[in-house]
Amino acid sequence: MRHPSSLKQEFLKKWILGLQRCGFSSKKSTSIMERKKAIKLSADLAMASTRNGTACWSRALIANASRDHESKILAEQILGPESQSLKKASSTMPPVICSRRIRSKKILKRSCSSQVRRVRKIALPQKVLSANSVAKRLVQKRTNILKSLVPGGEYMDDISLIEETLDYIAYLRAQVDVMRFVASATEVVNRNSD
Amino acid sequence: MDLHDMVLFWWESLSLFGRSCGQCEGDQMDMVGDKDKFELENRNEEDPMNFAAPSPSPSVDWRFGGLVPTGNPMAVSKGSTSMVVESFGPTLWDQSQTANPQNLGGLFSDINNVQNSASTSDTLGIRKGTPAAVVSLPSIDHKTFDMGWNPTSSMLNLKGGGGIFLPGNGMLPQSLSQFPADSAFIERAARFSCFNVSGGNFSDMVNPLESMGGTNYFRGGGMMQEVFGGNGQSHSQKNEVMNVDEAFKGVSMTVGEHEHEHGATGGGGSPLKNVRSHDEAKQGIGVGGSGPGNDSDEAEFSTAGGQDEPSVLEGTTGGERFAGGLESKKRKRSEQDTESDLAKVGPQQPGESAMDDTEIQQNGDQKPTATTNKSSGKHGKQGSQASDPPKEEYIHVRARRGQATNSHSLAERVRREKISERMKFLQDLVPGCSKVTGKAVMLDEIINYVQSLQRQVEFLSMKLATVNPRLDFNVEGLLAKDILQSRAGPSTLGFSPDMPMAYPQLHSSQQGLIRAGLSGLGSSSDLHRRTMNSQLTPMTGGFKEPTRLPNVWEDELHNVVQMSYGTSATPNSLDVDGSLPPGHMKVEL
Repeated sequence: MRHPSSLKQEFLKKWILGLQRCGFSSKKSTSIMERKKAIKLSADLAMASTRNGTACWSRALIANASRDHESKILAEQILGPESQSLKKASSTMPPVICSRRIRSKKILKRSCSSQVRRVRKIALPQKVLSANSVAKRLVQKRTNILKSLVPGGEYMDDISLIEETLDYIAYLRAQVDVMRFVASATEVVNRNSD
Repeated sequence: MDLHDMVLFWWESLSLFGRSCGQCEGDQMDMVGDKDKFELENRNEEDPMNFAAPSPSPSVDWRFGGLVPTGNPMAVSKGSTSMVVESFGPTLWDQSQTANPQNLGGLFSDINNVQNSASTSDTLGIRKGTPAAVVSLPSIDHKTFDMGWNPTSSMLNLKGGGGIFLPGNGMLPQSLSQFPADSAFIERAARFSCFNVSGGNFSDMVNPLESMGGTNYFRGGGMMQEVFGGNGQSHSQKNEVMNVDEAFKGVSMTVGEHEHEHGATGGGGSPLKNVRSHDEAKQGIGVGGSGPGNDSDEAEFSTAGGQDEPSVLEGTTGGERFAGGLESKKRKRSEQDTESDLAKVGPQQPGESAMDDTEIQQNGDQKPTATTNKSSGKHGKQGSQASDPPKEEYIHVRARRGQATNSHSLAERVRREKISERMKFLQDLVPGCSKVTGKAVMLDEIINYVQSLQRQVEFLSMKLATVNPRLDFNVEGLLAKDILQSRAGPSTLGFSPDMPMAYPQLHSSQQGLIRAGLSGLGSSSDLHRRTMNSQLTPMTGGFKEPTRLPNVWEDELHNVVQMSYGTSATPNSLDVDGSLPPGHMKVEL
């Protein structure tokens, strides 16, 4: 059970460290988009690294960041020395999914052998059937959207997708809170220094 | 002066509407109008978000019309001619500080709805009145108009947002059918009020009295801008205003009732933790560990660990109830033949136990034991489950009476129950989902929430990029604030060396106001969350309070954030409270 404030603290520290590693402070002023990208990227990576590869989305985030050639260098810079272990973890993502399918097949086999065979089909009226299919299509559509939202979600089945979403939501909340905090703090600092 | 004529016409219609209300007071008129707006929203819910290019021109006129009741029609209309392209909301605030913002908003959302629902009859009369006025505005630069229109038009399209502010419509009498045009006006204006306020990136025009609300919505407005930049989904647009509101609340409130949320999360986490089947145990711990927790969560877990049997019972109860609700229909069929069920359960059990004892809790508990006491069934299960270690890789599913025992259907049932169980957890996590049932709607809410959070991150990272030209965060200052995060004490302690100026700036009266405002907001939103029938007054009270807060926005937020971190009130509650009322709104619609 992770404490939210400790989680945020950890995230904050890693984030600032990552930003410092970017080496922006010494260079000349960079464009705003670059800065924003650096901030976001370092925040993402900081959060993902706090998970230490326990969550699928974190691995997917790191994998995506490392794949993008434009952010690859930044990512490597930010991740620093622990990048090796994280990259290894992120590369093992897809095989995790297959184990679930294997398990479900085992369920089928066991249940076949142990149960009394009694198949009773209840015919639903046509309206209900079409309503069911409509509902299914809606759910399927939204599941696909969710898969596109959550990083690394395309490879997951529904069940793990929902769990990853839970995790991801918690992370996003923490990130938003910390960033808000930092933004307000820096604003106050700037105003005081002016 | 066609413009003047149009303005007068609008004003007359509005006064007509007001008289028709009879004893309606000024704000009641707003409420009534808002209710009608809800009706229109319901009707127009499925309307495509079509914004033809010629439609903006009538809207301009409606904007002028909307400015009428502020008191000085001519001055307002003249003044707004130049500003209408950039922002009409702020001009409203400037002109009429005393006017009810919702009233004005209602007028404006009426205007917007004119364009949105081109087919509805109530707008025809309005449109007929405008063609003359359309001609009288040649001075408006078309290009700038279009540019200025794009964000506002897409904002106007968001009908759900107006509903947030006016939840009490269900209680109001439905006696306005005879004035569809006028009520449509007010509805649209009410809907637009939130967009006026949400269009806070016009914040330079915002009245200093309203700056709190304006800058609050600046964040939402900024986010909305991002939204409109990149999002073409009509259905999600509707919900984005809820996210704006959530952001607003998130920004302005830090004290909120989070125990409910966290308690629910903890309660949701503990059943999962107690589930004994192999994969679920693993995932449960992962989910429980990653869920937002606080001291209450830890306390729940410790109590769950300390008392094994009752905790398992609690866990099974929770787990049972989760899936029990969904299976209630199926269980009704099995309730007819309870005794034969028990008899069947009897001989089956020795056979089952011979093979293995582990069963998924929800499946095992949902055996057809309708007559048997739930607790006794659970105790039976507890014995078997507490004894065997979670080593099994197979999940044993027992077919229920009346259910097909096809292997595929069994596996399907397992999968469905797993999904529903996890959706329950998501319900606790995503604000506004507690009253929503059904996968599709909840998935929708989840998608919107994730999208809004992601956009918030983008927005905040952009903001940080602007604030820090050199990307050198004052590490010492920020880390010093970490002391606050670890709840070292009340916020009055000035920890950081570079923060000493912040606190003296806040006078005690301001702090008192802040706390009062926040507590008021928190209580109002909490009340709103608890009651299904949302009252209008708490809502308006909740939304008016930010306007009463002093102008020192940044210092407030800073102090509030410090307090929130210092008092271990997680700001997660911001989003919870902020978006829960809108979720309520949507559901009630």
